[in-house]
Amino acid sequence: MMTAIESSFLRLWLPPIVGIAYGLFYLYVIGDLTLHGPPVWGAFLTEPTLERLLTARATLMFEAIAVIEMGWLVWLFSPLNLLLTIVLSGLLAANIHGVIYLRSRPMSCRPASGSVAGALPALFAGGACCAPSLILLLGIPGLGAFTAFFGWLMPLSVIALGLSRVWQHRLGAPPIFRILPTRIWTATPV
Amino acid sequence: MPVFQTSFRLLALVALGLAGVAIASPIPTESPSSVQASLDKYWQENLSGGPPKDGIPSIDKPRFESADRADRWLDDNDRIIGIHRNGQTRAYPQKLLVWHEIVNDTLGDEGIAVTYCPLTGTALAFERGQDELGVSGRLVNSNLIMYNRSTDTYWPQILAAGIHGPQKGEGLKEVRVIWTDWASWRERHGDTKVLSRRTGYARNYRRDPYGGYGPKSGYYAGGGTLFPVFASSDRFAQKKEIFGFRTADLAVAVVPEVLAAAGQLRFSGKRHDFLIIHDPGLDTGWVFRAESGRLPTAENLNDIEFSRSGPVSPALAGLDSVNAFEAMWFAWYAFYPDTVVIDDDRD
Repeated sequence: MMTAIESSFLRLWLPPIVGIAYGLFYLYVIGDLTLHGPPVWGAFLTEPTLERLLTARATLMFEAIAVIEMGWLVWLFSPLNLLLTIVLSGLLAANIHGVIYLRSRPMSCRPASGSVAGALPALFAGGACCAPSLILLLGIPGLGAFTAFFGWLMPLSVIALGLSRVWQHRLGAPPIFRILPTRIWTATPV
Repeated sequence: MPVFQTSFRLLALVALGLAGVAIASPIPTESPSSVQASLDKYWQENLSGGPPKDGIPSIDKPRFESADRADRWLDDNDRIIGIHRNGQTRAYPQKLLVWHEIVNDTLGDEGIAVTYCPLTGTALAFERGQDELGVSGRLVNSNLIMYNRSTDTYWPQILAAGIHGPQKGEGLKEVRVIWTDWASWRERHGDTKVLSRRTGYARNYRRDPYGGYGPKSGYYAGGGTLFPVFASSDRFAQKKEIFGFRTADLAVAVVPEVLAAAGQLRFSGKRHDFLIIHDPGLDTGWVFRAESGRLPTAENLNDIEFSRSGPVSPALAGLDSVNAFEAMWFAWYAFYPDTVVIDDDRD
């Protein structure tokens, strides 16, 4: 059984930490964030037009309009990809918050932690040039035949995380829009 | 936005029609006859490579820089695709083309599309008139399927033939490009211009998503094919580089190491004899064709020198030049399963 302090700490810090880590990893697998040497510092805009901004390079993955080089880290900045990453990360954080909240309650009906597994499909949706990262990584012969399917993994994650959060709410977790105030309230020392 | 694009393309089509510009000629006699019989199959069996049409953006307004400037970011063993035509010499680094696959360039007054498919390791260039080629996002035998923006016809790069659309059955006119390393290209063409990293797109050009060529790693180093192919052979490793050419009668794959060791190779086809000359400076080959029995003797070919345009010798005058290119073995075999292979043990 978690103590009240442990529960407050987890509820306050674990969701954003995991959410941010997940967001960074998602940006990495879709190729927007890469680690590469030698270190270089700089930034430049390419063609920041609305048309470029909205150009899709895969399903729900958009063209970057700036390159930001931060030492070993290179960030291809796409406002829409960043927005979608925030949505995904936020949903994951909300799900984790929901799991912690419900598990801390002395109820028999606790949700399985598996509700956050909905975040996984999007990590396999990341594309390189001509083939998804997963296919390149695994190198499974013939897997490319399913490439078109991989494009739908990201929206699948959004739907899965959204539905599981609604389910958590029905079990008693606070709605998403009340999470932040709840966190602040629970973090206040007694 | 789509309405604007459609209107623009219609206008472009009308303009091209009025100008009488044609980017494609009737299917050339250089193409193997077996290709025509299976055009429908190439279209029916095409697969999504992941990105949508133009999701891999071609470079339509290429900028170039000097070799000295490019030396700052190119390593000696970086692969480049080189072209020398109309008095102009250009190098297109593989590390840039892996993200774009097509450069719609102009050399002199001639529109040339330089194309590269990372999954099959093939670099080919085509005359494009005033039209442009784009990346369709579709693959066949793992090979890039291009489309042209005036008629929306689809062309697998290795096949260089239209498989779907108004120009189905026609063939693109090929232009020889050289697949070599930066140091060798610069040694031969000191005044070469190099495609700039200022492509207009945000990409990390220091990273190749498939691996690397210096030395080969990742996808390029080995392993199986990612996408289904029409035919496969385990005669060589799937990703082994071969040097290939094809005519109306046949397709020939040459093992580069065998060519390098021999210096020159000869091969007799049904109607023609072929002379394949190794270019040690660029580590590639040049292919010439003559009517049967009309090839110059080996004694007459002792004085070959390599100019910016390829091998030069009085004995080569009058021979037809045949386009040739490097490719991964699996891709060559998938398109040309009846290929002749010139190896140590010729068959």
